[in-house]
Amino acid sequence: MLAARASTARNVQRITRSFATVVDTSGVKVAAVDHNQPTASVTVLVKAGSRFEPKEGVANALKNFAFKSTKARSAIGTVRESELYGGVLYSTLGREHLALTAEFLKADAPYFVDVLTSFVTSAKFARHEFEEYVAPLVAAEAESATHDPATRAIEAAHQLAFRSGLGSSLFAPAHNHITVEDIKSYASAAFTKGNIAVIGTGIDQATLSNLVEKSLAKAAAGTSASSPATKYFGGETRLDGHGGPQTVFVGFGTTGAPSAELATLAAHLSTTPSVKWSQGISPISSLPKGTSVQPVYLPYSDASLFGLLVQGTTIEGVKEAGKAAVAALKAAAKGISADELKSAVSKAKFAAASAVDTREGLVTALGSKAFSGSEVSLESTLSSLDNVNVDAFSKATASLLSAKPTFVAIGDSHALPYADELGL
Amino acid sequence: MFGPLGLSLAPYVRSSKSLTNLLTPVANWYAGAMGYRKYGFKYDDLLCEENDQVQRALGRLTDREGYDRAYRLKRASHASVLHAPLPKEQWTPESDDVRYLAPHVEEVMKEENERKLWDNLVVERK
Repeated sequence: MLAARASTARNVQRITRSFATVVDTSGVKVAAVDHNQPTASVTVLVKAGSRFEPKEGVANALKNFAFKSTKARSAIGTVRESELYGGVLYSTLGREHLALTAEFLKADAPYFVDVLTSFVTSAKFARHEFEEYVAPLVAAEAESATHDPATRAIEAAHQLAFRSGLGSSLFAPAHNHITVEDIKSYASAAFTKGNIAVIGTGIDQATLSNLVEKSLAKAAAGTSASSPATKYFGGETRLDGHGGPQTVFVGFGTTGAPSAELATLAAHLSTTPSVKWSQGISPISSLPKGTSVQPVYLPYSDASLFGLLVQGTTIEGVKEAGKAAVAALKAAAKGISADELKSAVSKAKFAAASAVDTREGLVTALGSKAFSGSEVSLESTLSSLDNVNVDAFSKATASLLSAKPTFVAIGDSHALPYADELGL
Repeated sequence: MFGPLGLSLAPYVRSSKSLTNLLTPVANWYAGAMGYRKYGFKYDDLLCEENDQVQRALGRLTDREGYDRAYRLKRASHASVLHAPLPKEQWTPESDDVRYLAPHVEEVMKEENERKLWDNLVVERK
């Protein structure tokens, strides 16, 4: 009994530790979580994702421009000095945010915060660096994305579902006309104080606030970027595949803040078994050999895309698996039993809780809340999942399915099924 | 000190006002007397380009600058075939004779030197 109590106490401590209060430091939002990890990370989150880009592919180019020459140090200086400190630098692009991240040993925080913030305040955006280093990276990323049918399907689905804004691709078009001037003007519009949040893990709030206050004092003042409210459209497209499995994506979108019901629906349909070598208890667990169905749930600040990604080696397999997937989705809209809902909620809660165990998950969780300035805790996410009941679940699913579907087929587009053939 | 641009006393001369005043007319006369402007060249067209640094610098010219440079080289070699300078209206005016390539070469050299510095760095941990 004593052991049980001790572990409860540990859990409580852990949950309270996952609180992070967002503090406004001279106009920049700063949030930090310190779990006493041996390493620390700092992420500069900028509202400069692809939904805000003025021209196709500019956000991707800006992402690839990260850590090039600034007034403080040259590109090679940044790389070599970071290597000497043993840190890791990377930039990632989402539809909402551009994230510049450094991971490092705790003592080296001043240097790495300076590397991140000097890119924000004094990047040079030299034309030759764009042509020699950045443009090839942009082209390579776009090229590799065309060889992955799953990525292509999700990109095409976003475009059909949301058209502009969230619909714009994370990658640059194959033949683009991005110039360094475009990137420079996008960066100067995006890198303003109201548009930046700094998120730290393994570093305490006061230290981080101090460092950020010193180095971001020079950043231009400005308000947060805004884009027109997202609308859901839906539609159908068929693309030829360049190798890879036959892929069909069946999706639906909703507007408004992400809801716990959809997270539960994703957990309900998830085909990932809890035990290795088992089939799992998902309603779509019995699929033809060589096919897979993955629920895709992508929540954004003012819309979400929910869908099922069906992949398989043969056309017949994909057709059969697609029918099973659509049938399961429709069955969920008619209502599921309380037991099924309970296990789905548990699965969704575990997914949400284990996501914040990783550094990336923690940064994502903090990032979504950092700009609104609200307190972030795992508890609120978990309790909202606990409040899902059978009625609300089936109602949310039914209203999701009442919209026009987003249907993408990639592969042998002449033979792959059409939306109506899958029962949509 | 050595490199594609060669030795130059120009920075020293420019640092002194009286030397500049004294030598500028001589320099202008010399640049005219070299004769390259009669063939439509700019001074940087004469820079020896058969090395990595200048090749890299040439890659950094804008498209417009690159086309213009190719045109000047072609026009001059044609004039050379004809054994006569260009007609006077095609000579490079002094105002157009700017160092369009030298800044890029300097930038490339600076980057190379910095790379050498980082390659041979001795780190002392305090």
